[in-house]
Amino acid sequence: MDWHRIWVVARHEYLTNVRRAGFIIMTASIPLLGILVLMVGTFFSGQARQLGEFFERQFEVGEKAIGVVDESGYFSPILPAYRGDFILYENETEAEAALKSEQVSRVLLIGEDYLETGRVTVVSLGSGFDVAVVGDSSTVRAFFVDHLLADQVDATLRERAADPLDAEPRVISSGGEAQGEGPWGFVFTFVVPYILAIFLVITIFTSSGYLLQSVAEEKESRVVEIVVSSVRPMELMAGKVAGLGALGLTQVLIWLISAAAFSGGAVALLAIVGAVTIPIRVLIFGMVYYVLGYTLYAILMASVGALGATMQESQQLAGVFSFFAAIPYMLSGLLFASPNALLPRVLSFFPLTAPTMMLLRLPLAEVPWVDVAGSIVALLISIPAALWMGAKLFRVGLLIYGKRPTLKEIWGILRG
Amino acid sequence: MIIQVQNLVKRYGDVVAVDHLSFQVERGELFGLLGPNGAGKTTTIRVIMDILQPDEGSVAVLDRPPGQAKDRVGYLPEERGLYRNLKVLDTLVYLAELKGVPRSTARERAASLLERIRLEEWAGRKVRDLSQGMQQRLQFVASLVHDPEVIFLDEPFQGLDPVNAERLKDFVAELHEAGKTIILSTHQMNRVEALCDRILLISKGQAVLYGPLAEIKQQYAPNTVRIRAPQVPTDLPGVTDVELDDGAFNLTLTEGSSPQEVLRALLERGVEVQAFEVAPVPLEEIFVAVVSGEEE
Repeated sequence: MDWHRIWVVARHEYLTNVRRAGFIIMTASIPLLGILVLMVGTFFSGQARQLGEFFERQFEVGEKAIGVVDESGYFSPILPAYRGDFILYENETEAEAALKSEQVSRVLLIGEDYLETGRVTVVSLGSGFDVAVVGDSSTVRAFFVDHLLADQVDATLRERAADPLDAEPRVISSGGEAQGEGPWGFVFTFVVPYILAIFLVITIFTSSGYLLQSVAEEKESRVVEIVVSSVRPMELMAGKVAGLGALGLTQVLIWLISAAAFSGGAVALLAIVGAVTIPIRVLIFGMVYYVLGYTLYAILMASVGALGATMQESQQLAGVFSFFAAIPYMLSGLLFASPNALLPRVLSFFPLTAPTMMLLRLPLAEVPWVDVAGSIVALLISIPAALWMGAKLFRVGLLIYGKRPTLKEIWGILRG
Repeated sequence: MIIQVQNLVKRYGDVVAVDHLSFQVERGELFGLLGPNGAGKTTTIRVIMDILQPDEGSVAVLDRPPGQAKDRVGYLPEERGLYRNLKVLDTLVYLAELKGVPRSTARERAASLLERIRLEEWAGRKVRDLSQGMQQRLQFVASLVHDPEVIFLDEPFQGLDPVNAERLKDFVAELHEAGKTIILSTHQMNRVEALCDRILLISKGQAVLYGPLAEIKQQYAPNTVRIRAPQVPTDLPGVTDVELDDGAFNLTLTEGSSPQEVLRALLERGVEVQAFEVAPVPLEEIFVAVVSGEEE
C-alpha cells in the first residue's frame, strides 16, 4: 500500500465532492431549517403566543366560574379559596338559568349519594368533550378533595391529596449510574442521541452514495484506466473510502455546530451537558458503529459502482443494499416500544442491518452486551470479506466496459 | 532493456487472450505493436501497465516488476476519458500527483504542456467545456505530465481529424527524438511506417512478425524490380520473366538473386537505364497477408 497515493486520492475525492451541489444543499439544509425556525419565531412570536393560549384554553375549564348544585352537603358552603371559581346554586333550575345566561361555563350536579357513587353530572352547552375536561382539570379535582377533607386534615396534606404526584423521569442503568434527570434529561438521554443516530445513518448512506457515484463516473467516463495504471485498485478504493468518509464527518460536524448555534443555547449545551447526559457507552459505540457501518457500506458501494456499465445501472444494483439499510427504519415503531425485542436483536447480528439497527437501538435502551459484541464481531468479519470480494470485483469490473457482467461472470471473477 | 516480456499468457475464462508471447523493447525505441482487433494488444499493454495480472510468464519494465515502475511509464489507453467536471489544469495536476509528482512540480509541468498543445487559456475551464479535439489533445498530454521514460500510446490517432492527427504524429516524433521510449499500438499502418523502428505483429495472442521494420519489409518484398529503359534484354541472369507494363518493364527475379545484380548486368550490357526501383510493399499488405494467412 502506498499511503501517499491513498492520501492524493482521498484529498481529490474530498475536494471534488465537497463542491457538489447535492452535498452543499444537503449539508446546508439543517442550518437553513434553523434560520427558518428563528425567523418564524421572531416574526410571529405574538401570534404564536395567541395560538398557544388558544390551545391551552381548549384543555382548561376556562376563566368563567363553574356552577355547583350540592345535594350531598359536602360542598356547602364553598370554601373561601374557591369562591371566585365556583358558585353555589340552590337547585338545578337556577343553575341552568345561570348557564344559559353564560354566568357560568358548566354546572356540576352533585347528588345525595355522591360519597358512595362519586357520580357527578356535568351540564354544559358544549359537547361531551367538556365532561372529560372537567374530569381532568386539576382545579376541579382540588375543589373536590379540599371540600371532602376540609375539617379533617391540614392544608398541606389537602393540597398534596389533590395533586398527589409530580412525575419526573429518571432512568438508571443496570450499573446504577443516573442517565439524566427531569424532562431535559429525557431529551438528552433518548431524543438527542436518537436524532443523532438518524443523522449518522443518513450520513453513512449519503457518503457511500457519493462513493458509488464517484466510481461509476470514473468508469463511465473511462478515466479509470488511466487511474488504475497509476494506483492499485486497493489504493484507489482505500483513498475513496477515506476521502468520502471525511466528507461525511464534515457534514455531521456542520449539522452539530449549526444545531448548537441556532437553538439559542439549548442544544449548544449538548457539547458540555451532552457529554454528561448522553451516556459514554452510547457515544463510544455510536462512533464504532458509524465507522464500521460506513466502511462496510462504502466497500460494497465501491464494488457495485465498478460493476454497473452506467451510473444508472450501478445505482440500481446498489438499491439492494439500501433496502437492507432501510429495514431498521421501518421498524421504528417497534424499536421505540421495545428496543430489545427479538427481531431488532436478530437484525443486529446481520452485517447489512447491524450498523443502522445498533445506532438506533443504543440510545433507546440498555442493549445487552452480547448484542453489542455480536454485532461488532459480525461487522469485523464481514468487512475483510467484503474487501476481499470488493477488490476483485472492483479490479475486474472497472475494465469491463459497455455491459454489466452476468451473475455467472461475477461468480467466475470471485473464484478466479 | 526497457521492456521484457517472456512467455506471457493471459486468459479470460476459457479464452486465451495472450498466448506465450515474448518480445523486448529497447531504450529510445519507437516500437510498433500491431494486430487485428481482439488480437490481444490491449491485454498485453494492461499486463505491462500492471492493470492485469499475467496467468503465466514474466514481465519486466525498466528491469523491475511492472507494479514498481508505474511512475516512470505513461499510458494513453484506447478506452480513454477525463473527469468532465474537473478543471483542465486540475485534471493534469491530479493525474501527475497519482504518479508521485509533487504538487508544485505537477502544476508547472501541466502549465507548460497546456501551452505546448495551445490550451493554456482553457486551464481554468472545466473539461466538459472543451471541444472533442481539445479533449483528445488533453488526454494525450495527460499521459506525459509526469515526464515518463516509457510511453504507451494505444490507438492515439483514433478519432482525430487529419490536422490534429498530423500534429500528434509530429509530437510523437519529437518525443522520440528527445530519447523517450514509445510503444505505439495502432491500426494505421502508414503511421507505423512513418514512425516505428521495430514492430511486433500479434494475431490470436501470438507473435507472427517481430523485428526491425525495414527487415520485415525486405523479407516480404516481392521478387520484382521495375525498370524504365528503351529496351530490356530477356535473357538476363537471375531473371525469369520480363513484361511491359505502362511504359516500364517489370522483371521477375529468381529466388536468391538480388536487384543489385540485375542492375549491374543491365549496365554491363549497355542498357540505358532511366529509372530503377525495387517495388515497395506497403506494410498494410504484409499485415493483411500475414493475418489472413494466420486465420486460414
